[in-house]
Amino acid sequence: MLIAVDEVQTPGYSVLAALLLFIAASVWLGTVAQKAMEKKDFMQGFFLGNRGLGAWTLALTATVQSGGTFMGFPSLVYSFGWIVAVWIASYMIVPLTGFAVVGKRLAQLSRQTNAVTVPDLLRERFGDSRVGLLASVMIMFFLSFTMFAQFKAGATIMEHAWPGSGILALTEDYDAPVATQSGESTESAAATPKTFRQTMRTWFPLSSKYYIGLMVFSITVVGYTLIGGFMASVWTDLFQSVMMVIGVMLLVCLAVPMAGGLEAASRAAVASTSPALAFGPGYSTAGREFLTPGLALSMFFVWVFAGFASPASMVRVMAAQNTEVMRKSILLLSCYNCLIYIPLIMTCIAARSLLPDLGKQSDSVIPRLSLLVTRDFPFETGQFVSGLILAAPFGAIMASVSCFVLVIASGMVEDIYAKLINPKASEKQLRRATTISMVAVGMVAILANLNPPQYLQALVVLSGSAGAATFIAPVVMACYWRRATASGALAGMMGGFLVYFGVYSCGWMQNWATGNPKLPGAELILSILGQDPKIGPAGFFRPYYILGLDPIVWGMLASVVAGIGVSLLSKPPAPELVKRFFDVRPTSTIGGTA
Amino acid sequence: MMSHANEHPLLKSARREAIAALSIWLLTTIYCVGYCSLYGYMRDPGDPTSSGRDPQSLTYILGFPDWIFWGVVVPWGVCTIVSGVFSFCFMQDADLEN
Repeated sequence: MLIAVDEVQTPGYSVLAALLLFIAASVWLGTVAQKAMEKKDFMQGFFLGNRGLGAWTLALTATVQSGGTFMGFPSLVYSFGWIVAVWIASYMIVPLTGFAVVGKRLAQLSRQTNAVTVPDLLRERFGDSRVGLLASVMIMFFLSFTMFAQFKAGATIMEHAWPGSGILALTEDYDAPVATQSGESTESAAATPKTFRQTMRTWFPLSSKYYIGLMVFSITVVGYTLIGGFMASVWTDLFQSVMMVIGVMLLVCLAVPMAGGLEAASRAAVASTSPALAFGPGYSTAGREFLTPGLALSMFFVWVFAGFASPASMVRVMAAQNTEVMRKSILLLSCYNCLIYIPLIMTCIAARSLLPDLGKQSDSVIPRLSLLVTRDFPFETGQFVSGLILAAPFGAIMASVSCFVLVIASGMVEDIYAKLINPKASEKQLRRATTISMVAVGMVAILANLNPPQYLQALVVLSGSAGAATFIAPVVMACYWRRATASGALAGMMGGFLVYFGVYSCGWMQNWATGNPKLPGAELILSILGQDPKIGPAGFFRPYYILGLDPIVWGMLASVVAGIGVSLLSKPPAPELVKRFFDVRPTSTIGGTA
Repeated sequence: MMSHANEHPLLKSARREAIAALSIWLLTTIYCVGYCSLYGYMRDPGDPTSSGRDPQSLTYILGFPDWIFWGVVVPWGVCTIVSGVFSFCFMQDADLEN
């Protein structure tokens, strides 16, 4: 962090003002949401918005779920060049697969089972409480990592938005790039123990602005989610998605002409780096191959299957009003993705030629660029406009934290409290349990972030893909396969989870051994796993690539094989159970739902 | 495959749509990854015998490198149109309540 802050890089009060505006708007949306849901059954209203999602709210919130896509992504384009377009290319198909593969059936099953959560649905569908319990534990495990990281990101953005804090870098994990001294990005694994020891010396190692940011962020987000429930989370998500597209459109319209057009920008960027910026596997000074064809193939699995098999997006689909809303959502989200990703790539290529020397500070490309392109706006309005552009990712973080807090709390209340502890709970008790669990989740997140671990961002990617590898087989089987059994669903979850984590942890061992070749055991590990292939993004928590493919492919394969295999080996499910979910009901029992 | 006379109509249409969507996904994946692997990877400058493109041969279409244009931008547009047609002409509405 030695590069001096130059004149276009100091966000004044405008960024802070824009963030506070966002917070105020979200709290307001939370109170509006509360009025909208007060009527029916508390659980259905609070956790599913009475299944009333319309096309816009469904499209723009179901699969665009983390601010991460918008924050890490520009930095990748800046660093590696055009190949990142291939990395994200599967988003062209995500809207279709996101709603058309399991969407309709999931929405139907969730009504037939009267499920509020995904574990609820799986438990009823397979008629086995173990399936629900395992799913619940898995979901809480995955989402906790992601959620803790987002709390940290929110706090850090507030810290950096404070005037005089230097450039606002839009990364979800600030410490990772800062901690490195040599090599590309987080290459130096040897730095870990040292940094760890330093941070252990004191309980509160970070600046007081960070803690103020953490408190303000946590209290507002948990607060408005507590007030407005599911609808508050959905509406803030919609709000930030709209702000995001406005921001991207502004940036692309200002930055690309400023760089003299896209081709000129691309040529200038190539001239200042190497032709590798315009080709695969991507530009790198450290000899890393960012995206080999095998990894490009893997990305078509990662985004597509994490898109519809992740618990947070399944909940949104369960809340869809009707099938017409889903159909419209496919088209809306397709158009939205067109407006976001390719323009964002164009913007970052332009940034590569306008701001050629960011080096390791590539995470700050969007804040710097927005301050640069709005520099000549009259009457200082540029500052405020760039403040709003920067507030959009902050809104994305708030929206996803709100969604995760809700999913975790719904798991604790519906799957554990109402199903196991107090099955006869009154509405008042459920309300109280909801408040307690959400406040508890917020407190744990604050405690976890008092001294936040490094490499959280890597754990976020990991838990997102792990969710897909775990749930893909059970969910598809639940929707379409009559012969699927509870044991098969359990095996599918465990199989996907264990294989995914197993393959991933081989990568950590390989990395550790590469960083500490003299330590006992390192040689043995490297002789089994082989040397670091130097592909994929850098970082300590790198996966192990079997046949050059991402672990998600192997995890999904294991999930499917285990799910089908164990289903066939176990006793067929009870015919009444299958009938209930697959066949038309005899007309005499209409009204038997609920 | 066993046929089930009483099968819920939503299930039939949903299954058909799932198969169609996954087929479109498969085609897209094969085309994009295939095209970009063939035309988007640069020849190793230190090894003239290696496969891949000569960086001098790169042209630009509407400002995009040619292989990005044909391998990502065009299929992205096609996918968006296909998704629109899929959602309005192929995918069927169904009653979720019964």
